[in-house]
Amino acid sequence: MTPWGVIKTIIFGGSTLVFFFILWFYNPFKHVEHYEVDEEVKEIIENPWKKVDEKSGKTIADEGRELFIQRCAGCHSLRYDGIYVAPVQADPRWKKVEQAAGRPVYRFGVLYKDRFFVPRDVYEAFAHEVLESFKSSFGQVPPDLSTIYLARGEGYLYRFILNPNEILPGTSMPPVFAGPSAKEETAKVVAYLKSVNTPPPQEQTKRAIMGVAVILYFVIFGALFWRYREVVLRRLGYH
Amino acid sequence: MGLIQRIIDWIDERAHVRELYKSLMIDYKVPKNLTFPYVFGVFALVTFVIQIVSGMVLLLYYKPSIADAFDSATYTIMGEIPFGWLFRHIHATGANFFMAIIYLHMFTGIYYNAYKKPRELVWIVGWLIYLVLILTALSGYLLPWGQLSYWGFIVTTEIPGSLADAPIFKDFFKAIAETIVLWMKGGYVVTDITLGRVFGSHVLIYPLLLLALVGVHLYLVRAAGISNPDGIEYDKKKHPDKFVPFHPYMTLKEGAYTMWYLAIFFFFVFFHISHFLPPDNFEPANPLKTPAHIAPEWYLLAFYEVFRSIPSKFWGFVAFSALLLFLLILPVLDWSPLKSARRRPLFFVAFLAFMYGSMALTILGSMEPTPLNAKLGMIFGAVVFGFFLSLPIISFIEYGWYKAKGGKEQ
Ligand code: HEC
Ligand code: HEM
Repeated sequence: MTPWGVIKTIIFGGSTLVFFFILWFYNPFKHVEHYEVDEEVKEIIENPWKKVDEKSGKTIADEGRELFIQRCAGCHSLRYDGIYVAPVQADPRWKKVEQAAGRPVYRFGVLYKDRFFVPRDVYEAFAHEVLESFKSSFGQVPPDLSTIYLARGEGYLYRFILNPNEILPGTSMPPVFAGPSAKEETAKVVAYLKSVNTPPPQEQTKRAIMGVAVILYFVIFGALFWRYREVVLRRLGYH
Repeated sequence: MGLIQRIIDWIDERAHVRELYKSLMIDYKVPKNLTFPYVFGVFALVTFVIQIVSGMVLLLYYKPSIADAFDSATYTIMGEIPFGWLFRHIHATGANFFMAIIYLHMFTGIYYNAYKKPRELVWIVGWLIYLVLILTALSGYLLPWGQLSYWGFIVTTEIPGSLADAPIFKDFFKAIAETIVLWMKGGYVVTDITLGRVFGSHVLIYPLLLLALVGVHLYLVRAAGISNPDGIEYDKKKHPDKFVPFHPYMTLKEGAYTMWYLAIFFFFVFFHISHFLPPDNFEPANPLKTPAHIAPEWYLLAFYEVFRSIPSKFWGFVAFSALLLFLLILPVLDWSPLKSARRRPLFFVAFLAFMYGSMALTILGSMEPTPLNAKLGMIFGAVVFGFFLSLPIISFIEYGWYKAKGGKEQ
């Protein structure tokens, strides 16, 4: 390549790479709010699948789920894990609806026979009166939290659940956890929300191995292709 | 060996595939000095195939109704179906890569002036592909029915609505604007009917159109012959040394590049999906809750920035449409027969301004709409318009130089 060719390659290649880096990796011109989890409870959210009790095999996520049912399910459903708002869950007819219109929760290769995923329209029709009463007391139906972890991220959720008014001033969601164990309980609930939306560690490892294998395959195969081309071209008498 | 050979011979005797192969792959000659950017057309083709295959898998599980759309994508495909996540990741990555590759492909065509005689039709069909591709991307973006999907769609359908702001013939423009918006939404409010129409367009109508257009595009590329980075149309008969057989010379080179392209592609699929499946779209669509910042996807941000930095919506829309139109009539604007930025210094400079102007507009479009932002948007918008409008003059000057140096008619 001529020196001018090298310069042009740098101009065009370089600015294209920088441009897509800004779009697809990190945009320094775009303002993004950042929320931090308190240092002392970071570990809890880090690995929701960690066993807290070796004998029963109970995990942090299981504890978080219990907390969620006790403290949040009065207002929020979490349909992807078979949790519906308390008044619905208490209705004896709901069990039949679950059986008839729902299917057992199945996620990342694990079947949960005791939890049911029910289509949104069926649930909302059944829960109509309950949801309407929520609307009149809170101004809106408290959202289903099935995917909130993906939408908001753990820092936001942690801060919001600990003190809703600090993040959304004037919100009708009350602070739920108080007292000395508030941070820990909040973290456990966030860990639970994470476990619903994130593949467990062994699945993550599987995906990462698969990814590395696919990428290596293409890199190596590409190189072999290139080598093969040189051989073929030499045989055919090109340069 | 014997049996397979006989089967192949049997088929070939009837289908004459070997002849076809020889004429399409070996007797077909391309310039020896093609540069790297000429591979973007092939990357686009590969990405198109990826989109069709991954889309077919998603189609098996996606449900086009407002009640089920979000859950079918986020619960069923991402969790219940084995490897559903993989296909969704591939399809989302493919959509973004497709647009990126198409832009690189178009900028390559502009740089080497591949839109000039005898390739005007290649360019025009390419432009049609670009339009349909944008429609495909927009319609696909609505399907997962997240907040971004919904509000992005609302904002986009309202852009033609800005025609209603016309300074003259108000009633006339208003009627047109309302008709277009109504037509795009399929009604006054977004309902199952809207979603069904968008779904049908995305999975059948647009892909079929693309398939047909890409077929014509490829045929035309071959009919006209590929351009030369030097900007000189060499005669294949008089200069056989400047040409090489498509196979194996090009196929192996582009094959290797494609493998490396796929390596980068799958890096995003497996390890960096958050920009293609953005967090905000994991919140189900809520028509009652308008997000603070709504902006189109990155591939439309340059147009969007031009649109929003002009104070009048009507003129914003006119500018937006003018940019698309300028792209179409490039072969007319840049009228001189001189080709390739390699031997056109003025065009080279103008191209740089155009490229950086478009990049700046895109990045400005991703930022918050401050007054400074709007001012910068106007400036870079003027740069991009300046590129198109100065082309006739640049053509004139450069052709004059060429003639003065004793250049022959081409
Ligand atoms: C008394 C009813 C009530 C209870 C109990 C409750 N919430 Fe809420 N929650 C609400 C309401 C109402 C909203 C809507 C707030 C808004 O958008 O202003 C809400 C919103 C939320 C949001 C969404 C915030 C956002 O950014 O959109 C999250 C996350 C949330 N709650 C988590 C929880 C968790 C976790 C618990 C249990 C620890 C809980 N909530 C208990 C009523 C409740
Ligand atoms: C689905 C989308 C597309 C596919 C699959 C595609 C494919 C191709 C291929 C394989 C080539 C030949 C190799 C090359 O020069 O890169 C080519 C050439 C070309 N394409 Fe496209 N293309 C697409 C979209 C477009 C668009 C949107 C435009 C412009 C508006 C365009 C303009 C051109 C031009 C001008 C050439 C001729 C290049 C030359 O001769 O130097 N194409 N295309």
